[in-house]
Amino acid sequence: MNLEKINDKANKKLKKVVKSIWVFNWFNSCGFTEILPVVGSRWDMERFGLIPVPSPRQADCLIIAGYQTMKSIKRAKLIYEQMSSPKIVIALGSCPVSGGMYWDSYNTIKRLKDYLPVDLYIPGCPPRPEAIFDGISKLIQKSTN
Amino acid sequence: MRNIILTLKSKFGVEILKEEKKQIWLKADKKNLLKICSLIKKNGFNFFSSLTAVDILEKNVIELIYHIWSEEKKTILNIKIKIDRERPEISSVSNVYDASQIHEREIRELFGVNFLGNPDLSSLFLEDWSGPAPFLKSFDWRNYVRKKFYSKENKRERGYFT
Repeated sequence: MNLEKINDKANKKLKKVVKSIWVFNWFNSCGFTEILPVVGSRWDMERFGLIPVPSPRQADCLIIAGYQTMKSIKRAKLIYEQMSSPKIVIALGSCPVSGGMYWDSYNTIKRLKDYLPVDLYIPGCPPRPEAIFDGISKLIQKSTN
Repeated sequence: MRNIILTLKSKFGVEILKEEKKQIWLKADKKNLLKICSLIKKNGFNFFSSLTAVDILEKNVIELIYHIWSEEKKTILNIKIKIDRERPEISSVSNVYDASQIHEREIRELFGVNFLGNPDLSSLFLEDWSGPAPFLKSFDWRNYVRKKFYSKENKRERGYFT
């Protein structure tokens, strides 16, 4: 949740986002289990106005979780292109951040920022729901003030 | 069951490596593969279960193992075929067994074996792959990853180069 990473240009972009953040999830492998407790009733992301939407065209925020292969990052790029501006990209888990445990795999990406403009990194393997909410709350603060 | 194996033995010089209750291991020659497959298919072995490849670097061969199951005989035939590692080519059995098409496609992708006569050998997982076949033992994947993804100038990634 390194907010220093978000530069001034991105700050302006975040301020245009409406209060509720609708997310489109793009998950590979264990990425889905990383956010699954957040969707469930115990941590319940809808408290914060987060709703998983079925189409990227309705989404404000793209969550990329789990390792991305060279094949799936192309589809992720397509999804990113389909989202309407302003849009946010969140890298969830250690795999999109640095390659994670697949740091020496020949077919996974190592740095997500080489492929998509990442606004927020949430590291962890898997990240706790608290960490995800911390990151999301920072996004909401940035977008509302 | 015995008749089929004896026919294979006399007709195509097939060698029996091991026999168990429900499994038989055979060693066959590359040029007889299609004939063997069409013969055993006529005799009940109609389920193409799997295709495996083993890269044996010391002997300079790639060993292909065809696993073919018979529902009526409750037996699986494992046909081992050795091909040259320098020129990995073999005729496709996709004309006999339709299901072998996707198995051959996968082996082509991961081991670089060329299956002559297979209608579609495009990549399944490795899109735009330019390196050598990744499952071969000669493939130095760690070096490949270093070259392709990491830079020595990056402070965090410098450790990967030592």
